[in-house]
Amino acid sequence: MNKLPKSKVLLTALLGLSLTAGLMAAPAKAEEKTEIVIWAFGEVIQRGLKLEYEKLHPDIKITAVKHEVDGLHNKTTIACQSKTGPADIIAFEVPYSGYWRTGNRSACFEDLRKMKTSDTNVSAGIAAGLSANDIKKNYLPWRWEQGVAFNDVVMGIPTDVGGLQVAYRTDLFKKAGLPTDRVAVAKLWPTWEKFIEVGKGYVAKLTPAEKKSGKAFIDEAGSIYGAIMNQGTTKYYQADGTDAGKLVYKTNPQIKKAWNTAVAAHSAGIGARLGQFQNDWYQGMGKGAMATILAPAWMLDFIKKYAPQTKGKWDIADLPGGGGNQGGTELAIPSYSKKKQAAYDFLTWYLAPEQQLKVFKSYGLFPSASVLYDDAALLEYKDEFFNNAPVGKIYAKSVLNLQPIFEGEKQRIIDTTFGAGLGRVAAKKESSEKSYAKVISDIDKLLKN
Amino acid sequence: MSLIKAGKGRRKAPLTPWKKQQRKPIPGVPSLNGRWGYPAIAPFFVIFLIFGVAPVVYSIYIAFFKWDPLGESEYNGLNNFIFLLQDSDFWLAIRNTFSIWALSTFPQLIMAIGLAAILRNRRLKWKSFWRTIFLVPNITSIIAITIVFQQLFGRDYGIINGLLGLIPGVDNIDFLEGVIPSHIQIATMITWRWVGYNTLIFLASMLAIPDELYESASCDGATKWQQFRYVTLPSLRNTITFVLIVGTIGGLQVFAEPQQLAPDGGSSKQFLTLTLFLYNQAFLNYKYGYAAAIGIAITVIVLMITTINFFITRKISGEGK
Repeated sequence: MNKLPKSKVLLTALLGLSLTAGLMAAPAKAEEKTEIVIWAFGEVIQRGLKLEYEKLHPDIKITAVKHEVDGLHNKTTIACQSKTGPADIIAFEVPYSGYWRTGNRSACFEDLRKMKTSDTNVSAGIAAGLSANDIKKNYLPWRWEQGVAFNDVVMGIPTDVGGLQVAYRTDLFKKAGLPTDRVAVAKLWPTWEKFIEVGKGYVAKLTPAEKKSGKAFIDEAGSIYGAIMNQGTTKYYQADGTDAGKLVYKTNPQIKKAWNTAVAAHSAGIGARLGQFQNDWYQGMGKGAMATILAPAWMLDFIKKYAPQTKGKWDIADLPGGGGNQGGTELAIPSYSKKKQAAYDFLTWYLAPEQQLKVFKSYGLFPSASVLYDDAALLEYKDEFFNNAPVGKIYAKSVLNLQPIFEGEKQRIIDTTFGAGLGRVAAKKESSEKSYAKVISDIDKLLKN
Repeated sequence: MSLIKAGKGRRKAPLTPWKKQQRKPIPGVPSLNGRWGYPAIAPFFVIFLIFGVAPVVYSIYIAFFKWDPLGESEYNGLNNFIFLLQDSDFWLAIRNTFSIWALSTFPQLIMAIGLAAILRNRRLKWKSFWRTIFLVPNITSIIAITIVFQQLFGRDYGIINGLLGLIPGVDNIDFLEGVIPSHIQIATMITWRWVGYNTLIFLASMLAIPDELYESASCDGATKWQQFRYVTLPSLRNTITFVLIVGTIGGLQVFAEPQQLAPDGGSSKQFLTLTLFLYNQAFLNYKYGYAAAIGIAITVIVLMITTINFFITRKISGEGK
């Protein structure tokens, strides 16, 4: 009685095992689609282009999972720690690029210099055998560098570049007796000091009722700080030959200049104190609470979406003090992905100049592929919403004027700390000097221990 | 039958738990004691070990390091804890957390008891509808709640400031920049989300109060208010304690609401809570070891409050007897 069940059990187990094995093997024999999983955020992966690629390659399925920017950063860190994860492509924001470029963290991503395109996209104009070094020439040099680690590993390929220009309301400018033509407007403010002066003149002409309802010249005077910081060559870290860079947040004159200008704008009362992407900001846009916004190219889409009633009342003029930038994303392949080749082929296609141009026209994300900047299709593109401004031409000018900036490990949190300091000044909680001293001591604390 | 017989000889290793149960029968209780008991409870404990105990042990370990998950880590001794006690942000976070907790818990308690008393009313129509609708805020995503409440509390276009503006001479309140105003905004969000849940708990507890108590009270000439004060409230004592304890644990974990309003907790960290402080040190400042030390500090605070709660509970239930 005892022996018989044992053999029976063995037999059943064997039968079961072979059956399971057979079942599991069966689908593998059939033609299965290769699934590329992408972790991204916002509109980084455009649905239209994704469908187009799937149509070109019936054997590929692309799954894009949306995240929040900070949440995705943590998820990427954790996945890299355990060297496993479902993602084949991961997006990271430029403010985080300093983190990934530092130390040995670039090992989390595949070195794209070692990848080679296959012949799958030849018909779409992408030759076989291209490494990242071969396609580098297509992109804006300083923007490309943001995806390259300090040990020269190419971690990511840039998607869009923010650029930064002034979006302004022609109707409100006219009411205040200011010129409305974009060339004449740009001439009003060659420098930031002039910009503040124009703002003062605008605010002086507002009625008391308008002032009480919070209307002013610019949405958030604090945004001037970031714009000026990006116009320099150094932020909080200075290149000194080491990976970490030298911390110069106490000595860099650019910081003082940006801080003082932003504070001057606050005390001149030209800011409506509407924090960007806060609820009041969205509402204020349609209500004429601000006559100007320092807008990266990707923000134009926000203005269209949240203030559709202002169509045709906007125009875009040059930023005071030269070029500008805000934001941008890199797409990278994690080193533990098992479908690196398929992922790389998709990346090189998705971020090729041709596709970037399509994204620009449909969503307004400005291409990082600088070969497009003298392309007539980009230069002649006009946006009805912004009074037929040649958006492509204006933003190309903005990003070509910039120098590469050394982005260090804690760039983002240092930036946030300065932003909070300006917020305290704007809310009249602290004087400029006191708040600045607090910012410095807060950063000391962040870096200590 | 043959199996049982065969097993009779092997006393040291009983074949089935059923046999052991035969030896020590527990009347009326089918038991899994013996050989199958541990495997039966194993799934929970294995998962708890992996996802509960292991991370706790690990974070205690890394609290003594300068920890970089993707690079080199170095031993830091007690420095993380010393630094924590000297960090003004930590004390600020404690202040904020308790202020938000107090502002959300006590009004919520009063509102929940009041609402439950209304829901208990026998003449109330559509009872199930009301009970269901009270739970809706609880299952709404915090992000959605934040968006709605930002519309209410907005400085320039918020509804509350719109109403305040009707009174001449009153300026708009900047709810986000002020210390107490921002705490009120967050506390309102928490209250809105949890008041319905607590109402249902109080309602369940009220329905358990025997009707005879009310009948004899009204025979003695007690008014509705006196019935509420001297019959309902004393019977709710244990429930109030329960709600307070759960509210305290929740209050110490307030995170998503302030993070949605401003990830850094406001320009002068006026609504930086303990958990947001921990999160920012780990994931924005990459000080994982320091964040682990903050986690331990939060645990100590929770333990302290639980002890206080324990003594208060004991005192209250002692009075009840």
